[in-house]
Amino acid sequence: MRVPLSWLHEYLDFDLSTAELVDLFSLRSQEIDGVYHLGVTDGEVVVGEILEFGPHPNADRLHVAKVDLGGREVQIVAGAPNPYPGARVPVVLPGSVMSDGTKLRKAKLRGLESYGMMMSERELGISADHGGILLLDGSHAVGRPVAEYFPVGETILDIDVTPNRPDLWGMIGVARELAAILRVDYRIPEPSLQKGGKPTADFGLRVEAGELCPRYDLRRVSDLEPGRVAPLWMRRRIYAAGMRPINAVVDATNYVMLETGQPIHAFDAGSVRGGIVVRRAWPGERITLLDGSTRHLDEDMLVIADEERGLVIAGVMGAEDAEVGEETTDALIEAANFDGRNILQTSQKLGLRTDASGRFERGLDPNMVGHAMDRVTTLLAQSAGGRVAGDTLSHYPEPVETWRVPLRLDRAELVLGMPVRTDEAADRLQALGCEVEAEDRRLSAVVPTFRLDLRREADLIEEVGRLIGLDRVPETLPAVPQPGGLTEQQHTTRLLRRLLADVGLSEAITYPFGPERWTLDLGLEDETVGLQNPLSTEGSELRTSILPGLLDAAARNKAFGARGVGLFELGKAFFADPPPEALEDAARRFRMTGEFGEQDADRLMGVREENRVGVVLAGTVEPAGWNFPGFRAGFYEAKGIVERLVPGARFSPAKRPYLHPGRSAVVSVGAREAGWVGELHPEVVERFDLTGWPVAALELDPALCQPDPELRFDPFVNVPAAARDLAVVVEERLPVGEMLRSIHGLSSSTLTEARVFDVYVGNPVPQGQKSIAFGFTFQGESTLTDEEVDAEVGRIVARVEDEFGARVRS
Amino acid sequence: MTVSERIEQLKSEALSAVASGDSTAALEDVRVRYLGRSAELTEIKKSIGTLAPEERKEVGRSSNLASREIEAALDSRTGEVAAREREDRLREEAVDITLPGVPFRKGHLHPSWRIIDEVVDFFVGLGYRVAEGPEVETDYYNFTALGIPPGHPARTMQDTFFVDDGLVLRTQTSPMQIRTMLAQEPPVFVVCPGRTYRRDSDPTHTPMFHQVEGLAVDRGLTLAHLKGTLAAMARHVFGESVGIRLRPSYFQFTEPSVEMDVSCFVCGGTDPHCKVCKGAGWLEMLGAGMVDPGVLEEVGYDPEEYTGYAFGMGPDRMAMVKYDVPDLRLFFEGDLRFLRQF
Repeated sequence: MRVPLSWLHEYLDFDLSTAELVDLFSLRSQEIDGVYHLGVTDGEVVVGEILEFGPHPNADRLHVAKVDLGGREVQIVAGAPNPYPGARVPVVLPGSVMSDGTKLRKAKLRGLESYGMMMSERELGISADHGGILLLDGSHAVGRPVAEYFPVGETILDIDVTPNRPDLWGMIGVARELAAILRVDYRIPEPSLQKGGKPTADFGLRVEAGELCPRYDLRRVSDLEPGRVAPLWMRRRIYAAGMRPINAVVDATNYVMLETGQPIHAFDAGSVRGGIVVRRAWPGERITLLDGSTRHLDEDMLVIADEERGLVIAGVMGAEDAEVGEETTDALIEAANFDGRNILQTSQKLGLRTDASGRFERGLDPNMVGHAMDRVTTLLAQSAGGRVAGDTLSHYPEPVETWRVPLRLDRAELVLGMPVRTDEAADRLQALGCEVEAEDRRLSAVVPTFRLDLRREADLIEEVGRLIGLDRVPETLPAVPQPGGLTEQQHTTRLLRRLLADVGLSEAITYPFGPERWTLDLGLEDETVGLQNPLSTEGSELRTSILPGLLDAAARNKAFGARGVGLFELGKAFFADPPPEALEDAARRFRMTGEFGEQDADRLMGVREENRVGVVLAGTVEPAGWNFPGFRAGFYEAKGIVERLVPGARFSPAKRPYLHPGRSAVVSVGAREAGWVGELHPEVVERFDLTGWPVAALELDPALCQPDPELRFDPFVNVPAAARDLAVVVEERLPVGEMLRSIHGLSSSTLTEARVFDVYVGNPVPQGQKSIAFGFTFQGESTLTDEEVDAEVGRIVARVEDEFGARVRS
Repeated sequence: MTVSERIEQLKSEALSAVASGDSTAALEDVRVRYLGRSAELTEIKKSIGTLAPEERKEVGRSSNLASREIEAALDSRTGEVAAREREDRLREEAVDITLPGVPFRKGHLHPSWRIIDEVVDFFVGLGYRVAEGPEVETDYYNFTALGIPPGHPARTMQDTFFVDDGLVLRTQTSPMQIRTMLAQEPPVFVVCPGRTYRRDSDPTHTPMFHQVEGLAVDRGLTLAHLKGTLAAMARHVFGESVGIRLRPSYFQFTEPSVEMDVSCFVCGGTDPHCKVCKGAGWLEMLGAGMVDPGVLEEVGYDPEEYTGYAFGMGPDRMAMVKYDVPDLRLFFEGDLRFLRQF
């Protein structure tokens, strides 16, 4: 809601700087989105009379005027050609500051002195009209400040009205609110009707869809003077409030909407056939609106029609037919109340939001209709020469009455955490328009119907609290009667993130929705969950793996010149898990009402979410240094991360379409599959624009990761350990892991560590074979003799010779 | 030449060899030559037994004396030379200390989660537990149970991603309030961090963002407790010097509803050109309020017996403010040029 401060000053007196007003209003009521300025913010504008007006001698498009500023004659160069000798014009004097911050100076334009500037409506902040100099009528005395007639500058507060306060969508509501904050009185313009126009009853009114239209009032204003322009004060206020002045009739309706918050519509009575019908749209009904668009309506939409055709989408926008125009002399004025939710639905379905629909959708007070009708018809009589009908057609079968809400002061103190005096609470509620009775720390408030949001004690407590001031609420800490903490899984997740960062990876957070190709390009067969209204097809499906988002991120880095990436992400994967047909109704009920009866609520969700931790290594993750070999993406690099996260993990060949068939593994812990690790299939690398980079990745269930395995002390003896190396030659295809497992299977009482420190293929190892170098550490209860150690190594040799046909290299 | 004279001769030869020895190796040669197993002086000592008894004493004494003198000279000289040699060696071993060291890779935690961890740690320290919930949420938990039934205008304030009949991507972490309260009896003190989704995309809005929701329900909880808790949290995240203020606001599931501003942690409101607060002195930080009695009733708590407060903050926005990041979209692109700064 844009609030011109000069307008607000008409309704109440206050002496606050703009900054103070903004602070006060935001701390007591609503947030202020912005402060704008129009016209002349500082300086002087006076009424001048043109003495001479002619072409500029040195410029085709300029004119020169001699202007009388009241006993003082000045020369002004102008661009606009419309002034003439005898015309009165606003002249802004040098030294004045305009709303855009420019300071006006005495200037020479093409060789001629120009003292100040004659102003257009736009320059004065009256309208967007910049077509010529504003011409003032003879009531404006030459030499007088223009500000004596109307403000030459305007400051506008843009209030961000919360949805519970439709009463603040009108200037009167804002004035009432500010008056309540400042504890001062406010005054509003009262209508003064002189009737005598043609009767409204020449037309009919029939409300067919009463459920969508609690109130509909119609009054005729006849004998309008065609082509009238609204008075300047009205136009400038409409413009300052953010709307466009149009003609005297439309401007009056918009002005009263801005003043009261009640949208008003005017029909050209001459075009209305028979009368006004308030009905639902017919199936297939179309309507061509003022903005030229043709809209297809449905039966859930309310239409204001005559006996033959739809004239307005109720509360949203009027049609070309029966719209008031320059030629209108006879108008039917509508002030009505519509069901807010229905207006909201209609406006959403049509993608059409207007000043009117924005007000209706929040729910307006039907009792506001009468005042607004009186006010708009008064203005039409005053500014458009109309004569107001003596009769009003009205549909208002169930008038809304005020209601009573109790307030216990003890409860208010409990909720607000500060003392609240009975008289102060009563005073504050009265300022908001309530009638309050007080008895023994209890109030009973009769709430005015324009405060539809005040229904319960809690609502009144909020009003009292904010008007007393939230700054008066003290800061205290509650006593929390429980120890805080993370669950084991939360702790693990946090350690996982730290650990992955500690091994040098960067934590990414990517969108969990992507294009269909995510699953297609990975060859995944998971049932995906789609979005019904994605921002684009690039984000239409929820991921079933962390992988594609991280691959896209890797490709982005590659495109920007990175040599490689090491990224990880913790997040959810989503799988479609539709409930069986028999439970579809139960599922719908659960989702809409929370009721699940005997059913398992998870089963009714229809989507299964799984936690995942994903890592992508791609390219040269860390480039080589002069003293450091570098770190490139590869199977063993990724596997090393898995081994760090999942102690005791087992690796078995993986057959996944997106993985390199010979360089990938399924990771298991006990009998459970924890995830996978491997280099990506070259086709996938290509599809994700990573061609040329080695790419390895892993994805695990964080619940099966053990970044910090359970700790238990294992006693050791203080005697030296013995180390022995052993190199053997075996068939090249033999998995070394099996040899290691077999060696551990010897159950040696002294072998404490077996390490592979070299794998070698090539001369002098015969073709088809490889050399494996092991390093063993032996530790006994007492210092081991060479013979004892040799005996253990001998057992190992015998085992690998026997089981794997290994030959010891000498 | 008598034996004794020979000893004197050997001694002076040895001492001059020691004096001119200029390396530990040369001095070791001197030691072997004059004091070694087959050195002449050693031979003389071995032969003492064969001498005439009157000679034995004198030769024994002077040979021992000579040995000790040579020994002492050798030790002292060796010490000097060794020290010099070590200095020389250390000088030769000098490296280019300006070359970079072996790189120990540094990883990076996401800025949003850095803030979330800080916030969560703060509340855990106060005695809160941490709850997490589904990101695909039912219409009921995300809206209706929070006082936003179908058709309610507040629904249009949150551009929602729809998944299926009655299923949405959660637009807020607030449904965790309902899930938590349905699962337990008061007292409740819980924070719920997580991803949330709205159909929106510009420099300050991304279709996914994070929230941290907080909920406390117990006997006697007041707006003052909420204010004190939030003030302490703000100081924890932004520094001891910051203050807070509450402004009235509107959320469907709290009454009264407030928004919290934090005083600018950079300029404290003193700099009209401050880059962080743009001269306002205050930074909008979060929404909060006292739990609406209707919400308590919805989950079967007695609103006459229990009161509570709830708050929801945007850790991404807090990270933007704290680390001076101008564009929220950077957070979710996985761009290392961004991630490596945290």
